[in-house]
Amino acid sequence: MANVTFPFPFPDHLITLLPEMIVAVLAMILLLVDLFISKENKVWTAYLAIMAIAAAAVATVQLYPAGSIEAFYGFFVFDPFAAFSKLLIFAATAISIVLSIDYMKDENHVGEYYVLMLFAMLGMMLMVSATNFIILYLGMELMALCIYVLVGYQREVLRSNEAALKYFILGALSSGMLLYGITFLYGVSGSFDYTEMGTALMSADSSSHAAVLLGLVFLLAGLAFKVSMAPFHMWTPDAYEGAPTPITAFMSVAPKVAGFVVIIRIAIDALPAVQDEYMTILIGMAVLTMAVGNLAAIAQRNIKRMLAYSTVGHVGFVMLGVIAGNADGYAGILVYLSIYLIMTLGLFAIIILMRRDGIQGELLDDFAGLSKTRPGYALAMGLFLFSLGGIPFLAGFWAKYAVFIAAVEAGHLYLVLYALLFSAVGAFYYIRVVKYIYFDEARVAFNFSDSRLMQATVAITAIAIVALGVYPDPLMEVCKQALVGLI
Amino acid sequence: MDLNNVLDFPILSLSIFLPTLGALIIWLFVRGDNAVRWASLIVAVATFLVTLPLALNFDTTTAHMQFEEFHHWIPAFNINYHLGLDGISMPFIVLTSFLTVVCIISAWQCIQTRVKEYMIAFLILETTLIGVFSALDAILFYFFWEALLIPMYLIIGIWGGKNRVYATIKFFLYTLAGSVLMLIAVLAMYFEAGHTFSMLDFMDYPFDFTWQFWIWIAFFIAFAVKVPMWPVHTWLPDAHTEAPTAGSVILAGILLKLGAYGFLRFSLPMLPDASQYFVPLMIGLSLVAIVYISLVAMMQTDMKRLIAYSSIAHMGFVTLGTFMFTQAALEGAIIGMISHGFVAAALFLCVGVMYDRLHTREIGDYGGVVNVMPVFAAVMLFFCMANVALPGASAFVGEIMVLIGTFEAAPTHLGISAKWIAIAATTSVVLSACYTLWMYKRVIMGDLVKDSVKSMQDMTIREFGYFVPLIILTLWLGFYPLPVLDFLHVSVSHLIDQVSTSKLDAAAALLQAVPAAEAAHH
Repeated sequence: MANVTFPFPFPDHLITLLPEMIVAVLAMILLLVDLFISKENKVWTAYLAIMAIAAAAVATVQLYPAGSIEAFYGFFVFDPFAAFSKLLIFAATAISIVLSIDYMKDENHVGEYYVLMLFAMLGMMLMVSATNFIILYLGMELMALCIYVLVGYQREVLRSNEAALKYFILGALSSGMLLYGITFLYGVSGSFDYTEMGTALMSADSSSHAAVLLGLVFLLAGLAFKVSMAPFHMWTPDAYEGAPTPITAFMSVAPKVAGFVVIIRIAIDALPAVQDEYMTILIGMAVLTMAVGNLAAIAQRNIKRMLAYSTVGHVGFVMLGVIAGNADGYAGILVYLSIYLIMTLGLFAIIILMRRDGIQGELLDDFAGLSKTRPGYALAMGLFLFSLGGIPFLAGFWAKYAVFIAAVEAGHLYLVLYALLFSAVGAFYYIRVVKYIYFDEARVAFNFSDSRLMQATVAITAIAIVALGVYPDPLMEVCKQALVGLI
Repeated sequence: MDLNNVLDFPILSLSIFLPTLGALIIWLFVRGDNAVRWASLIVAVATFLVTLPLALNFDTTTAHMQFEEFHHWIPAFNINYHLGLDGISMPFIVLTSFLTVVCIISAWQCIQTRVKEYMIAFLILETTLIGVFSALDAILFYFFWEALLIPMYLIIGIWGGKNRVYATIKFFLYTLAGSVLMLIAVLAMYFEAGHTFSMLDFMDYPFDFTWQFWIWIAFFIAFAVKVPMWPVHTWLPDAHTEAPTAGSVILAGILLKLGAYGFLRFSLPMLPDASQYFVPLMIGLSLVAIVYISLVAMMQTDMKRLIAYSSIAHMGFVTLGTFMFTQAALEGAIIGMISHGFVAAALFLCVGVMYDRLHTREIGDYGGVVNVMPVFAAVMLFFCMANVALPGASAFVGEIMVLIGTFEAAPTHLGISAKWIAIAATTSVVLSACYTLWMYKRVIMGDLVKDSVKSMQDMTIREFGYFVPLIILTLWLGFYPLPVLDFLHVSVSHLIDQVSTSKLDAAAALLQAVPAAEAAHH
């Protein structure tokens, strides 16, 4: 850990929580400050929120640990894995806030929106550092409650309300399942701590096997809901379509990062005793997730719905890293999520820019002829789409490569073959959007908002996708290093 | 590691990235359609000039890789930026850079919309093609192999004919689905061969038969789609027909060779036993391509479709020669590919010349063109004859060598003598004459009855300009193929050594050595 000196005495284990504390305190202060910001200047709330995230990011980078540091009697861990995934979550949240600024100008612009995003982020930060099911549950609920509200943020819009209600009901159900599963595992092992539970389950006698399995199934179901694995993905398209687009972007990236980090931690520490069982379940779900995501996306006409199913498909690919269960697999997940974050947020930035007088810019038809009117955006969008399809010289190829090679290493050749075939299916609906952009004639005039910040976001993400596509080594190296102390 | 590079200069990297660099400069700094055309031409010519030293400094006495370059790319997975050429890949690189120049000149008039994007797409396509032919690392190979789908998808989709969207999506998905199998084969080989992606290591590593069997099938599907072989050829007529003229030229001239090149680079040297095992399959499919596809070609009413089917039939010859494993047949196959690069490219350009005037590719819409375009009729006659493989044309050299090589090949376990295979393949000479000359008769000969045809003007100097080098090269390769054969001899006989040396004994020895070594270790 870097040496940070404070002007006042600071308990050792608290310092590992510094990023969380920064976010919590600044978010609450922002809530108060926001009262004094007038309706027209709400943009400043957004800027302040981004600054709060920047402060937390600086703290995380400063403290970036060389190994695993435990705090609060093993409730909380600060290791490179957590630090790296927190940085991803910061990036996702900050970019989503940037995307919101322009979008919110046409909406009921209130400051709580940004504060809720900060709290959701705080919940995710807790999730990735939790080594105890209670902390995990706290973090998860903090995240979920904030996002329920954000999804239903457009109070006057029917589909936003519908989305929020659906998401809330199914989310509450899944939280219940998660808790139910945890209680079974607790009943057998007598501990909420991941590692202690893992040791206890190892030595548990066979009479408790049924209870462990029951707990495992409910636990996995709850977690699967959070990262939209089939068959627990049902909420995803509705929630994605109904939510304000920046929130869709946020939801499709940040909670997935947090969710997969949690799954990896639990798999390594809490469940090694039932590895065969959870692997079987995960393989089954991965097979289903890849198929459902990639096939259902073909039928979509609304790009937000299409991206919802595409997320499901990508989650299926990421699961291969968990199924591989080796260092390459976990590093591959981080590579995948990092690259997925960049390309998805870049794509959503363009979708948000498409919104114009009376047109939501969400139907695939709305993109027809984009290349004639706005060649720059068209090029960036083409790059994101080919990248999502996993075509080389773009980063998406290396994302897939990183998890696929780990799965081959673990001997899951057939599963990788299956995944590769579905990635070819997936390429179809991505290149179909390219068809709208490049091959079709424009039907309506385009009238883009010219927010510099948004343009910069699109440009930076597009350049990053090409740069990482040509030279992915630094990212792969960082992700590999992030596993120090984890396994 | 010792790098064999006589020039002491990263000339392959320069050839690969010069077009991209040029595309970048054009994108950022060049304005105006004509300026873009000239700038692209300058970049393409410069690239061609850069690739010429590859041929001039080529050492024909060794089968080793030449002009090598090596850099670590992704050390975590031992992926390296390793480039190099041997006699098999070198001619294709020069062919690529040459045909790109021709393509850019041919697009001068017929591409009027989005000229800049078109030229950029073409230059990036050139980068990926040269990259495929010079890669010696399997992931690098795959990287370029897949990347070329993006510019090609856009070229067909944006500047193609009426049915272009269907054609380009079909092309994209067919080739993508084929190549993912190659990726998984490469990943599996990485672990089997001890954490390396080096194609040279793969050639040396003794894979046992089961491995070879499955990996061969995966490669086969990937390459067969690209060649394309019957029955996965159906994307090609659509893609060819709908692509703009220059797109068809590069498709026929270079892209079709990638599949056959894959067989030569991966299947034969890395998986010799499986390659031997699958000879009957390859012969069967090649003969179907030669005979059946030729018959299909005869029935086409669209000129580009007809030439597309003729390309498939000619590629049948190439795959037949590849899997005969004799010096003459393999060299004939490669000469056939190069020659097809000139002849098919020129035929597509001929159709392009007519299409630019009447905007139709239907044979029935023409007739009597010779009366208004005598010079053009002569040029087209020349290339039609070359397509029929008349002696004196380059295609003749390729076909006769494949036939000779097939004739002298050892009897295969088909149960019939290789002579019968050669005889069956010879029908192509008759059939190709049927479909090519029949098309020529219907389009060029006859009386001038259609008013639209009466208004056609003969070729301009620029159009004539890009046929001249193609005519010279076709004749040169037809009369004096020795210089090209010199490039091939050593590399091809090395390849034949590789494919005739079974890896099974070494694999069995390795299998026994591993437990012994482990026992000694304990």
